[in-house]
Amino acid sequence: MKEIVAVLRMNKVQHTRDALAEKGHYAMTVKNVLGRGKQKGLQYELEGDSGPQFTESPRIHYIPKRLLMLLVTDDHVEEVVETIIKANQTGNIGDGKIFICPVEDAIRVRTKETGDRAIL
Amino acid sequence: MKMIRAIIRPERAEVVASSLAAAGFPALTRMDVYGRGKQKGISFDAIKYEELPKSMLMIVVEDENVSKVTSIIQVSALTGYYGDGKILITPVDTAYTIRTGEEGL
Repeated sequence: MKEIVAVLRMNKVQHTRDALAEKGHYAMTVKNVLGRGKQKGLQYELEGDSGPQFTESPRIHYIPKRLLMLLVTDDHVEEVVETIIKANQTGNIGDGKIFICPVEDAIRVRTKETGDRAIL
Repeated sequence: MKMIRAIIRPERAEVVASSLAAAGFPALTRMDVYGRGKQKGISFDAIKYEELPKSMLMIVVEDENVSKVTSIIQVSALTGYYGDGKILITPVDTAYTIRTGEEGL
């Protein structure tokens, strides 16, 4: 069992959700988060005497993002990752990251089922 | 690869983020959470605060940088009082960059 944690653009969640539903993955958690990548947020480009310049100080430190979390069985990891990449790829900086974390066990509260049966 | 999740005081979040950026770890995800520790929140006489606002920072780093990042968080989030928070480290198998579709951070 794996947990897939993906940081996505705000406006891509609906599209991702539809694409995952098409493959039969309906269960997920989406959360509003703030974040930044190795670009350290958004920089403004200022027109100076010597052409456009990137400045250090006026910058947006955190960009609003959506955090998508879903649990899948080991054999579906590849499929879900491919679907998320396909739905979110624009080719520009800020498309996000996907992390795959191992999960030892899961329990369905209603029926007390454990393991893979709890998430299917 | 490891995921480091630090639950810290909201007012220290910016200090932690900037000292991490200065050490070469600018990438992080921040979320506002509510929680409590083993002190069960705070109570002032009859008034109880069961859940306190905290900030959770989520950082994914390579294995060799884990101790570096945790020590930076420990130093810059420290006030010495109850409620400074916790740092949780969990394994991450793989990471993908969506823009390129490649593996790795």
